Amino acid sequence: MKLNLYEDKNSTDERVDVYYSNMRPVIRQLIDTVNSDRPQLKGRPADEDLDDGEEIFLDPKQIYYLDHVERKLFAYTRNGVYRVMDTLASCEEMLWNYGFVRVSKSNLVNIYKITQLKPDLNMKVYASFDNGERICINRSYKKSFTEYLQRMRRLSE
Amino acid sequence: MREYLKETLIELCCAYTIISVVGAITNIFYGSETNNANVIIMFIFCAIAVFVLSLHKLLIRFSPLVMIIIQFFVSLALCCGVVFAASFIEPVTPKGWFDFIRSFLIVYALGAGFYYFRVFSEAKKQDKLIRQIQENHKEE
Repeated sequence: MKLNLYEDKNSTDERVDVYYSNMRPVIRQLIDTVNSDRPQLKGRPADEDLDDGEEIFLDPKQIYYLDHVERKLFAYTRNGVYRVMDTLASCEEMLWNYGFVRVSKSNLVNIYKITQLKPDLNMKVYASFDNGERICINRSYKKSFTEYLQRMRRLSE
Repeated sequence: MREYLKETLIELCCAYTIISVVGAITNIFYGSETNNANVIIMFIFCAIAVFVLSLHKLLIRFSPLVMIIIQFFVSLALCCGVVFAASFIEPVTPKGWFDFIRSFLIVYALGAGFYYFRVFSEAKKQDKLIRQIQENHKEE
């Protein structure tokens, strides 16, 4: 994508014009950024006490997957695990354009972070990440997962 | 429930049609014949198989391989029950039992093999899609 920046010291009306051929996820992300709607999840390191831990903003690009365990939501990044004070359903809705898709009742994965998708001998399909972790793609979510991938491929072309 | 029944009935119709046509072709090829009792039994087996396979959602916590094995033994037990009940009307010889289990096993193994192949080929396709999305994303 070509980027043109114009500096005008006298301008009082700052603006961003976006010329696009189709509404791809990356265009949606740009719009979110301009509208200051870019989703940023707030999280605290999971190994610290919730009240003591320092709250930090998590960029969706850093997150490998979200895991819902015992009514708590955790975000896994390369550097650690963070407790997110949000619901899995709202994260799914919020991060749709950022490559996140539901693969089981309790997992949302970032497709940009998947290094390999491979079935085991027992026919369970696993998504592997470069941090060595694996997440099972539940077969009841297989159809919606494939549809999401096809839609994302179409939109990214 | 209505949706489930509708879907199961459609699957039963499709399965029975395929098995009848394959059976008819085999009969023509080998010059053999079937009888009314066999046709009824074949339909009951189809109904059992479709019903047991349609319960896959109850076995979601197990891996597909375990699910296939559980479904195999459940449907085999039910079909054995039908043959056993039928043996009171018309006696079944030991060879008949052997033929029944062999026929059941061959069809089930073919179906399971096809499912196994599909799981692997679909995962491969999904992996390819992910690679393409990641490549396009990098270019942007």
